[in-house]
Amino acid sequence: MTRILIGALLALAALHVHAQDAYPSRPITLIVPFPPGGVADITARPTAVALEKALKQPVVIANRPGAGGAVGNSLVANAKPDGYTLLMALSSISVIPEADKLFDRKPAYTLDQVIPIALISADPTILVVHPSLPAKSFKEFLALAKSKSGQMSYSTSGIYGALHMPMEMFLHAANLKMRAVHTNGGGPAITILLGGHVEMTVGGPAAVASHVKAGRLRPIVGWGAKRHEAFPQVPTFKEMGYDIEYYIWAGMFAPRGTPEPVMKTLRDAVRKAVDDPEFKSMMVKIDSPIQYLDAPEFAKYWAADAKRLAEAVKAVGRVEDQK
Amino acid sequence: MSGTGIQPIGGTARGLRSDVVAGLVLMVIASVVGWQNRAYPVGNLAEPGPGYMPLMIAAALGVFGLLIALRARTSPLFNAVDWSEGRRGIVMLIACAVAVFALERIGYRLSMIALLVFMLGVVERKRATPTLIVAFGFSFLSYYLFASLLKVQLPRGPWGL
Amino acid sequence: MDGGVFANLMNGFSVALQPSVLAYAFAGCVIGTLVGMLPGLGPLAGISLLLPATFGLNPIVAIVLLAGVYYGAMYGGSTTSILMRIPGEAASVMTCIDGYAMTQRGRAGPALAIAAIGSFVAGTLSVVALMFLAPTLASFALRFGPPEYTGLLLMGLFVLAYMSGGSMLKTLAMAAVGLLLGMIGIDAMSGYTRFSYGVIELADGIGIVPVAVGLFGLSEILLTAGQQTPPAIQRPTLRQLIPSLEEMKLAIGPISRGSVIGFLIGIIPGSAHIISSFVAYGIERRMSKHPERFGRGAIEGVAGPESANNAAATGAFVPMLALGIPTGPITAVMLAAIMVHGISPGPMLITQQPDLFWGFVASMYVGNVVLLVLNLPLVGLFVNLLRIPYSYLYPAILCFCILGVYSVSNSVVDVWIMLGMGAFGYVLRKTGFEPAPIALGLILSPMLELSVRQSLAMSGGSYGIFFDRPIAITMFVGAGVLILLGLKPLLFKSKDWREKVGLEDHV
Repeated sequence: MTRILIGALLALAALHVHAQDAYPSRPITLIVPFPPGGVADITARPTAVALEKALKQPVVIANRPGAGGAVGNSLVANAKPDGYTLLMALSSISVIPEADKLFDRKPAYTLDQVIPIALISADPTILVVHPSLPAKSFKEFLALAKSKSGQMSYSTSGIYGALHMPMEMFLHAANLKMRAVHTNGGGPAITILLGGHVEMTVGGPAAVASHVKAGRLRPIVGWGAKRHEAFPQVPTFKEMGYDIEYYIWAGMFAPRGTPEPVMKTLRDAVRKAVDDPEFKSMMVKIDSPIQYLDAPEFAKYWAADAKRLAEAVKAVGRVEDQK
Repeated sequence: MSGTGIQPIGGTARGLRSDVVAGLVLMVIASVVGWQNRAYPVGNLAEPGPGYMPLMIAAALGVFGLLIALRARTSPLFNAVDWSEGRRGIVMLIACAVAVFALERIGYRLSMIALLVFMLGVVERKRATPTLIVAFGFSFLSYYLFASLLKVQLPRGPWGL
Repeated sequence: MDGGVFANLMNGFSVALQPSVLAYAFAGCVIGTLVGMLPGLGPLAGISLLLPATFGLNPIVAIVLLAGVYYGAMYGGSTTSILMRIPGEAASVMTCIDGYAMTQRGRAGPALAIAAIGSFVAGTLSVVALMFLAPTLASFALRFGPPEYTGLLLMGLFVLAYMSGGSMLKTLAMAAVGLLLGMIGIDAMSGYTRFSYGVIELADGIGIVPVAVGLFGLSEILLTAGQQTPPAIQRPTLRQLIPSLEEMKLAIGPISRGSVIGFLIGIIPGSAHIISSFVAYGIERRMSKHPERFGRGAIEGVAGPESANNAAATGAFVPMLALGIPTGPITAVMLAAIMVHGISPGPMLITQQPDLFWGFVASMYVGNVVLLVLNLPLVGLFVNLLRIPYSYLYPAILCFCILGVYSVSNSVVDVWIMLGMGAFGYVLRKTGFEPAPIALGLILSPMLELSVRQSLAMSGGSYGIFFDRPIAITMFVGAGVLILLGLKPLLFKSKDWREKVGLEDHV
């Protein structure tokens, strides 16, 4: 009985090995390092559907949330580089190793453990203030912030988080001081601003648009290279003479060492996927602008972004060291 | 020691009380936490650091532990606590630990079958037929229900099981 | 809006009662109940799992389906708590104490029935409140900033004083253990990872589900399975399934109080709604003429927390619908579900999408009715699980716990925590300690620490911020009163029930 079982299992295993010739020959797992419903997840879902069409193999999404994305990111970073385990990461992928360095932690992964496949979306953040604040324009805002240095407070999505880094870039560039009130997510950051408990926060355009329309929040300035389509009246930091840029982006990665032909197949598939009309309409609905960049351009973009973020993390430093 | 069973509350027999042991264990936990907490800056009252709250709670735990140990007079004798289920409990925990270790290596269904076969067949000494029916039935049914129908992500082994 | 509430609601019902929409509400409740029964998979997991499937549906159907899942899962969690002492999620931790005690006394049927009825009443009352008061309440809820939150959580912490049946000293010690467990993970204010010892999964902190399933469910199995004589098989008759008149009478008060408390706590943004069931339990014990019955199968101990957690679930929709802000992870996923259909959630939702809003409100009524109709007959079915000999039942429950805890975040580390907590819970129960305060402490400590430090960050280190805000000061006075009430037996040595029943002859 046992012998038959072992024999059968061995036969199965042999079959399994044998089937690995033309990529992709079995389902692909796309790891999302965040819980379902977040930006990474709702970007990954339509992408997976469109990829399935292009690759003719199921693309299964696996949410491996934890530690601000570190769990899922390190999972892919240490996965077998065969093209069957891919990652849909957010910009935070570059911040986590920097923060690990700051605290002398054993890094969960390093950036050179993954290679970029393509950038899917990128959205610049926007500075929004509570409407009770007298400042209507960036100039007034800056004057106010200067006169109340160290008195005003802003909420973030968490220390070194996606909504903390851009604010630090600005404070650093403008040589201002403010109180950071860290929360545990983008939602709570906006909620405590709506209640008037802090003066401002940084928000993704999709998250703040409806509150701005209803007059509950006032947009002041944006982090994009050019003005955001949804907020044409809001100037950018670049226009105001600050050389700072910040985007919340979502991109696909593979473990380093993935064979070149596999990478080519994947890049072609993603190129097809982002052109898929269904994919496009889905991305419009979730207010996430498609910003497709193929691997070489994305690698450049990523390198510049990672450098900016690393500098910002260093500028923040450890909180108690600032005192 | 007054025979078997738990000493009635307020008993006069002399010996180590269970609350003394419990209190001491709590104090040890508190000191370990307090010691480990040195790695984190404590800050001050106006700006509590990451180490502030753990230190305060550990201190409180230590005090509670001390009080529990001091007021242990009326608690049952430590030796009288009946640990008779403990042996099977340890077997059960070890079996579960093995199954959990196997979970992401050989997949949900195989490891659950192994766990159920062990628990029913070896520990509970059930006959082979019902054991196998429950083991296979539970693993495949629960996998079908939660993984296939409800799309819960359960680990699959190297043979897709 | 007021004049048209009924016209709008009728319009909503005409949407919600369409056979196809009704079918989805029904399907949602069934799926939700199933998901909720699996320990670990609570409403959040249920909704997240189904979210991708709703992308292709029309928005009203999608939201009705998800609301059904939400309600079903809230209720489903109580089933395993009552029958097997496995709290499927944080909200049912309190239910499993008296619910399981009732099961052991052969009153599983009434416990399940009262949980279903309580959930129904609380759900319906809360929808009425939501309908008329949403905009007003929502702006009130926004005034809860970090200082107010601190006060609320402190009140929650002092409810502990009434929660356990044993020694207050032991309760406090266990609460301290829970609070310490809550310290594990990344400190949100400084970025330090505390007590994680290189395990990256621990950086997120320890989840409540593995701890609760281990402390309550697994420890119960360890305790029972090893006994010489296995627990008797129960063969409930039809009559034993139905709550007696006396039980119904006892449950009325807790259900109505639970509804109000739950709703009020539920509308506050953040994760405070979890404490609603703890607060309801504490209050019921305080109000009861026979508090010594609690922990030994008091129907009030099931009715109060179950109603409170359902009311809180509805209350959480107030800020989401009226303001478009997610009050917690569940509403955040619901918002994502709406957004995927190109509807921008927010203050304009009621005026711009009346069909959706009123259809949603009406479907909440419908969902509550469907849930009751679905679950009362199921009580009979579930209770029959107790006919299975325990030696077959417990290995399956073990697997069930592993499955459920693993699926919370697909992490084996969680299952290890559950096993460890199971062993710990076994030792605790052997030595006369109660596990419930650990669960509450674990839930409270990250929230409490964060809100205290957020408040201090807002004020630049001044404690005045806790006292110059009207809501915050009210909360602190409330917490102070609770401390005094808790200290009363210590100070006056009066005829406290604890002494009367000889539970607490010291302290």
